[in-house]
Amino acid sequence: MTVERAVLRVYRYNPERDEKPYYREYEVPVDKAQTLLDALFYIQENLDPTLGFRFFCRAAVCGSCAVKVNGISRLACKTPFKELVEKANGKPITVEPLNFLKPIRDLVVDHDQPFESLKKLQTWCEPKEPIPEKEYRIPPEEVKQYERPTNCILCFACYGSCEAVMDDPKYAGPYAFSRVYRYVVDSRVKEEHKREMVKNAMDVGDIWSCVQCQKCIYVCPKGVRPAEDIQNVRGIAAEYGFKDYPGVKKLQHFVDWIYATGQINRLSLPEEVYGVDPTPLINKFRERGAEVWEVPKPLPGLLEFRDLILEVMKEKKPHLDIDFHHVRRIDKRVEEVFNADVCTKITERFEEQREDFFTRFWKKLSEFFGTK
Amino acid sequence: MKTIGFYQGCCFQGPDAHMFDTLKKVFADLGVDIKLLERTTCCGGNTIEESNRFLVYSINARNIALAEKEGLDLLVSCNTCYMVLAKTKHALDSDPELREEINKLLAEEGLEYKGTAKIWHILPYLVEEVGIDTIRERVRRPLKGWKIATYYGCHIKYPKEVAVVDSENPQGLEELIEALGAEPVKDYEGSDVCCGYHSFYTNKDIALKKVVKAPQGAKRAGAEMLVTPCPLCFKAQDIYQDMAPTEDKVPSIYLPELLAYALGYDAKQSGLAFHIIPVDKISVNASH
Repeated sequence: MTVERAVLRVYRYNPERDEKPYYREYEVPVDKAQTLLDALFYIQENLDPTLGFRFFCRAAVCGSCAVKVNGISRLACKTPFKELVEKANGKPITVEPLNFLKPIRDLVVDHDQPFESLKKLQTWCEPKEPIPEKEYRIPPEEVKQYERPTNCILCFACYGSCEAVMDDPKYAGPYAFSRVYRYVVDSRVKEEHKREMVKNAMDVGDIWSCVQCQKCIYVCPKGVRPAEDIQNVRGIAAEYGFKDYPGVKKLQHFVDWIYATGQINRLSLPEEVYGVDPTPLINKFRERGAEVWEVPKPLPGLLEFRDLILEVMKEKKPHLDIDFHHVRRIDKRVEEVFNADVCTKITERFEEQREDFFTRFWKKLSEFFGTK
Repeated sequence: MKTIGFYQGCCFQGPDAHMFDTLKKVFADLGVDIKLLERTTCCGGNTIEESNRFLVYSINARNIALAEKEGLDLLVSCNTCYMVLAKTKHALDSDPELREEINKLLAEEGLEYKGTAKIWHILPYLVEEVGIDTIRERVRRPLKGWKIATYYGCHIKYPKEVAVVDSENPQGLEELIEALGAEPVKDYEGSDVCCGYHSFYTNKDIALKKVVKAPQGAKRAGAEMLVTPCPLCFKAQDIYQDMAPTEDKVPSIYLPELLAYALGYDAKQSGLAFHIIPVDKISVNASH
């Protein structure tokens, strides 16, 4: 009986000896390994005792054995070997160290830098005072909020896949912000320290560099969702009143314009976030013959939509409130554009809804302010 | 003729209203009647989550319910709108309490989220429902000699629970490009790198670094342009790439525009004439 064999193409590099990294191929019998980690052991024990890799628990708890497999960060101990072989379909399986971390040897990378980031961001519990005599009582609903980020095992799979790390050396990394979130929503932590952590996340860790690609969620072996925790921390930053950051201005734009018109307005974003006049860009499109809508067309059903938003906001406190002064300016602008007939196409298309729309629209708005 | 509900989001406003017209006529030519769901609103752009996730679920349950009320499935072009809608569907379908809470709110407007509507992204819809053969048959202007790099964008690949293509080996665009008579360029350096769109208004510097990676990698691999099914990736590669400090700009094309051009529409009708980074392959008429 012939045993199925798979080829592993493994990254090798010993900085003390090798001028530059190289790859070496090893044939591993598929039935000798349940996981990729087993396959690495097979190589070390039978083919090449010099191969270096890091491991400890072999059960996806310690976070030591994260490597890059065919370009994707994975825990070697949690990667079924057979599946990998099937997917490779006869091609070699490339195993490399995680991206963006200093190589120590072969598959082993230096973890000091990402651990250092946690220290810089001060992601720990500074207890709220007075410290109770026995223990802090934490309701189950609160635990639910940070159960997921607490599961992070600091394997740095997310760090090695991160699009922001790739282009911003200051960026702390997805895992770091999951940890920030975990402590910021913990009622045992004192308020000043929460504020400190959020400020650090922005100024030391560059949290606004996250591109929201969602790769960290994809690669996390523990189901942590760092990209979403990053959104949570950003929202808390807005709630704390850090209004000067472009990202907070962007969020305010989204909150206000979506409430006002049911849509964002991509042509007013440059002005509202960076104070940049969008006219030159608009002109470029006009020069090319494109029709440009200066404000989004009013949507039918907008009043019901506004009611829904207000209803939700009453029940669930959002991190950032609607700026109703801004909404009123948006309403005026929308009305100007449509009455001034700037955009004939929209006017034609929505003529029927228009009158009814504005009558109800102002009535509803005055009702809202009347009752507030 | 098949009918499907179309969710437009905020993609077809500003200078981009024509992109919806292009999409509509391309789908009509391929036997699909696009019914614009006019009451649907912005999905929150993966940004309202920062303020409140429940609010995102509410407005998108409403968006989905509006399609369900008409008995229609939902077709989405934007990768981000698709992801946000699909995450909402995933959350509501797996959490009956959440669904009930949101349905109480939607009842005010006479709506109910049932979970019956399928949410389609245009790429798998074109490949699986319309079919490559149908598309090939309708081609009037084969794009012979065009070398086009495929760019899928992130939010149809990640996260896994909403992905519509194989996250690690996405398929579909290459087949489509071949059906149009052009030559696809796949797996070039940077093909999986984010376009940077969503960071432009949070940290402009990083967006301008990200946006050039795929175009430059595509060029090195011999492509003359990129094609993407996502209008946001397209806008990043057309507008932000133009702002980035690189000398060689690589044109990017929104998939429905490429289809329109191959189906016989001219540069203006397809929208290709309006790009900031001109598509040199087309002969734009004198008014340009």
